[in-house]
Amino acid sequence: MPSSPAPSTTDLQDVPLSSLLACHECDLLLRHVDLPLEHKACCPRCGYELQTHRAHMSRRALALVLTALLLYIPANFLPIMQLDLLGQRSEDTVWSAVLALYQSEMVFIAVLVFLCSMAIPLLKLLCQLWVLLAITLRRGQRPALQVYRLYHHLREWGMLEVYLMGILVAIVKLADLADLHLGAGMACFIALLLAQVWLEVSMSPHQVWDALEDAHARA
Amino acid sequence: MRALDAGLIICGECHRLHRRSAAHLHCQRCGARLHARRPHSIARTWALLLAAAILYIPANLLPIMSVNFLGNGAPATIMGGVIELIHAGMLPIASVVFIASILVPSFKLCGLVLLLYSVQRYQRLSPRQRILMYRFIEWIGRWSMLDIFVIAILVALVRFGNLASIEAGPGAAAFALVVVLTMLAATSFDPRLIWDNTDTDADHD
Repeated sequence: MPSSPAPSTTDLQDVPLSSLLACHECDLLLRHVDLPLEHKACCPRCGYELQTHRAHMSRRALALVLTALLLYIPANFLPIMQLDLLGQRSEDTVWSAVLALYQSEMVFIAVLVFLCSMAIPLLKLLCQLWVLLAITLRRGQRPALQVYRLYHHLREWGMLEVYLMGILVAIVKLADLADLHLGAGMACFIALLLAQVWLEVSMSPHQVWDALEDAHARA
Repeated sequence: MRALDAGLIICGECHRLHRRSAAHLHCQRCGARLHARRPHSIARTWALLLAAAILYIPANLLPIMSVNFLGNGAPATIMGGVIELIHAGMLPIASVVFIASILVPSFKLCGLVLLLYSVQRYQRLSPRQRILMYRFIEWIGRWSMLDIFVIAILVALVRFGNLASIEAGPGAAAFALVVVLTMLAATSFDPRLIWDNTDTDADHD
């Protein structure tokens, strides 16, 4: 659905801010329209997705956050794959990869991999859980606003999907070198990734900000 | 019409609109500092980009990992790894690694330089082309971490003492820094600058 045209009136002083909207990527001023469910508004000039209106946003997102959190431990600590070479066996989990790097004195890379594949994804989920609980329980909106800001800063540093691609490349590299078996951790990791991607799609930021603000104003 | 021309500032974090005045230094909703444009966007992006470009040299010249097989160590650079995959007949995976670790970082460095240059000087590319390029650079940035994750998994998995082992090399640290710095550079660039120096109200319908 295209967004409404830019206001052409010169006396914008009298227009309430709630009836206006500016594109975050090109600063084009637009008139705000209330979107029907499952519709999105895009900037007519640069095409940036301004808003998406999701149905049952907080309930659906809360279910997905809890799913993702349940999957987090098995995904990171169960073996993703096993390698057998001449009677010896080694296992790989997300956590053991971090440890192995740390032990081989590549501390910087170990820390970076730990952050991008474990710490930040977990922190993102916890932020989302906090925000959704604040919306659902209608309390603690002020700290939740700060938590949601933190979430947006962390957003692109959680790299589960890149990690999955890394697993695939590693599998192909090792497949004809030795006996390779996939473990339960792999299934959990993929499930965690799917839950997290679905969560990011269904948790529409502008709805979250509005929900936090409304409750904040009422309190 | 730009929001800025209407005397309105959009909060950089929660996108709430504010009237431009001395009283509103912080967003009334989320408390973030309000800026018409990201502060020192061009200088910061240049600095991060320059640092990334310098590190790009050791990242490609130093070995990113060394494979020890039956006592024979063979350090490999990024390009060496790709060539090895091609020789092993694994073309699809070779092209994935080639795209993620060689094409994408170079494209990011060149693309951001081009964007900065176009914002500071006259430009031939239309704003729409440039915003697409910016979004692509922003989106693709994280995928360069692919090689780092592959190394992490290989190091953890191939640990058979003298029989076979894989170790990360100093090139990997340099490469990881390049990825982080270019990602930071993309975040500090303000895409609204692309539209600021072009008279493009006629550009939209």
